[in-house]
Amino acid sequence: MAVLEEPIKGVPLVKNYINGEWVESKGEIKDVVNPAKYETIGKVPISTRDEIDAAVKASQEAFPDWRRTTPVARARYVFRLKNLLEEHFEEVSRVQTQEHGKTIDESRGETRRGTENVEVACGIPTLQMGYNLEDIATGIDEYLIRNPLGVFGIIGPFNFPFMIPLWSAPYAVATGNCVIVKPSSEDPFSQLKIAELVEEAGFPPGVWNVVNGGRVVVTGMLEHPGIQGIAFVGSTPTAKYIYQKCGETGKRVIAQGGAKNFIVVMPDCNVNATITSLMTSFFGNTGQRCLSGANLLIVGDDKFYNSFIEKVADSVSKIVIGYGLDESVQMGPLRDTEKKQRVLGYIDSGIQAGARLMLDGRTFKIRGDYPDTCFLGPSVFEKVTPDMKIAREEIFGPVMSVMRAKSLDEAIDVVNDCDFGNGHAIFTADGKSARQFQYDVVSGNIGINIGIVAPMAFFPFSGMKDSFFGILHTQGKEAVRFFTESKVVIQRWF
Amino acid sequence: MGGNDMRLQTASSVISFSRELEGESAKFYEALAEKFAEGKDSFLSFAQENRKYIVQVERAYYGVISDAIEGCFAFDLEPGDYALETTLAESADYSEALGRAVKIEETMVKFYTTAAEQSKSLMADVPRAFMLIVRKRNERLAKLKSL
Repeated sequence: MAVLEEPIKGVPLVKNYINGEWVESKGEIKDVVNPAKYETIGKVPISTRDEIDAAVKASQEAFPDWRRTTPVARARYVFRLKNLLEEHFEEVSRVQTQEHGKTIDESRGETRRGTENVEVACGIPTLQMGYNLEDIATGIDEYLIRNPLGVFGIIGPFNFPFMIPLWSAPYAVATGNCVIVKPSSEDPFSQLKIAELVEEAGFPPGVWNVVNGGRVVVTGMLEHPGIQGIAFVGSTPTAKYIYQKCGETGKRVIAQGGAKNFIVVMPDCNVNATITSLMTSFFGNTGQRCLSGANLLIVGDDKFYNSFIEKVADSVSKIVIGYGLDESVQMGPLRDTEKKQRVLGYIDSGIQAGARLMLDGRTFKIRGDYPDTCFLGPSVFEKVTPDMKIAREEIFGPVMSVMRAKSLDEAIDVVNDCDFGNGHAIFTADGKSARQFQYDVVSGNIGINIGIVAPMAFFPFSGMKDSFFGILHTQGKEAVRFFTESKVVIQRWF
Repeated sequence: MGGNDMRLQTASSVISFSRELEGESAKFYEALAEKFAEGKDSFLSFAQENRKYIVQVERAYYGVISDAIEGCFAFDLEPGDYALETTLAESADYSEALGRAVKIEETMVKFYTTAAEQSKSLMADVPRAFMLIVRKRNERLAKLKSL
């Protein structure tokens, strides 16, 4: 099977995009590494406080004019961006694989999901509409307008370098705000590419900015009085911190954190379809996603359990590992060595806690001639109990922890004992079981015979418990609400 | 650990394989068009249709591929089962060429039918695109048999 051509050539230096200009940062420079080949593919700056301040200033200056641009005109800018993303679909997908390591199917899926948000934001003339009521008292009318607020900071994670900032940015700018996107410094090229297309789409300077970096940029955003709100996706500790800091500084906030998703399998499920779905759920994106299955909780007797787990293990053992630009590859590497070490630590922890490592991902074969530096095979633990660290903490890697429950009631108790509520799912052929699960499980997103409960762009990406801090969510109508303030007008004419 | 070396399991590999098959068979028909004047128009239109099918399949795939569906685990196809024999002996006559074309079309129908079956619950529009091609190819088979 052919390995697709890489789009990033040489070792380019990523620049910031501020006020419609490509600006070289004065901050220190860090390598961007392709984890499959373990080679440097670019350099990214860790921008300074002055640079984030410059971006905020540019956005503040752009805001009044952008706000006055009519919604239908703003939608046309967004529509041009959508068309450009479609034109560059394959290129931006390959960029993701090259800088992140995910498979090309996963990258194209990410591109589609991200682009769908741009597509939904094209409907802003309808989505941003308020409402009104004539004659709230005799001769007095009342109406609600959704006003943009100003400048927003959007902080993206490494695991979906293209899509996640697009859960927010298109809605923010379509509603008349300006944005500063901070991509993950581990894989900044996807957002760089989007910024190039933003420029090509003709957005006015200062409306859409990209400032690369790390903690300094994040702190700069959190502390800057000119930033009205933050949309963040990342780990739970950071999400909590950002939520608190935004509270202190009076910013509105969407802070999406980590997860530990349970996949409950009932004995009446469609076994073959369920197992296929489990492969994507647990091992898609090499387990580096907040909607990944983490704990497989099987309900049923020994006969069902043994037969089911044998088939699961057989499927897992056949997963093809390698460079995501090889089209035959089903699972790529972890993003970097630090993340691999973290997963290895959890595997050790599971063994020490007494779980049975029925499939050891530490032994694996890579398709193609690539260093094993960031690769890890899929692991399956049996005899995991809910109190074990591997059952409670987010591993963010290709590890399946298998548990058992005697009944659905018991399974739901176990699921609800989890600290996270992001994307729990059930596989069953029984509507009553499905409804009970949907009703009783505390989770922002619920899957019924769906292993990755990723809401479409026109639904909010919800989350509960330690998976989400805030009120309104990214995507769709809730994003429109988040990026606008309700202004209520009551009018009477004498 | 590691899967079967040659099997097509990911959506991307199946789409590429379909592109290869359509391309090979288009070249085959173009060669036939040069060699056999009596079927020239039909053969050239078949080649043109093949290129249209590639666009249809790619459009369907790129339109529905999502990070949340089983793109990497959607298929399990053995490419050897769908190898096309597209070289004709210099001495081959028109009837032999038509016989070879029928075999190619039967193989393509088998490929798309199996691929549609394997992806029907996962990829939304993709199996529909595959089955549309199956329908068109069955029409082509009937035409080839009538030539």
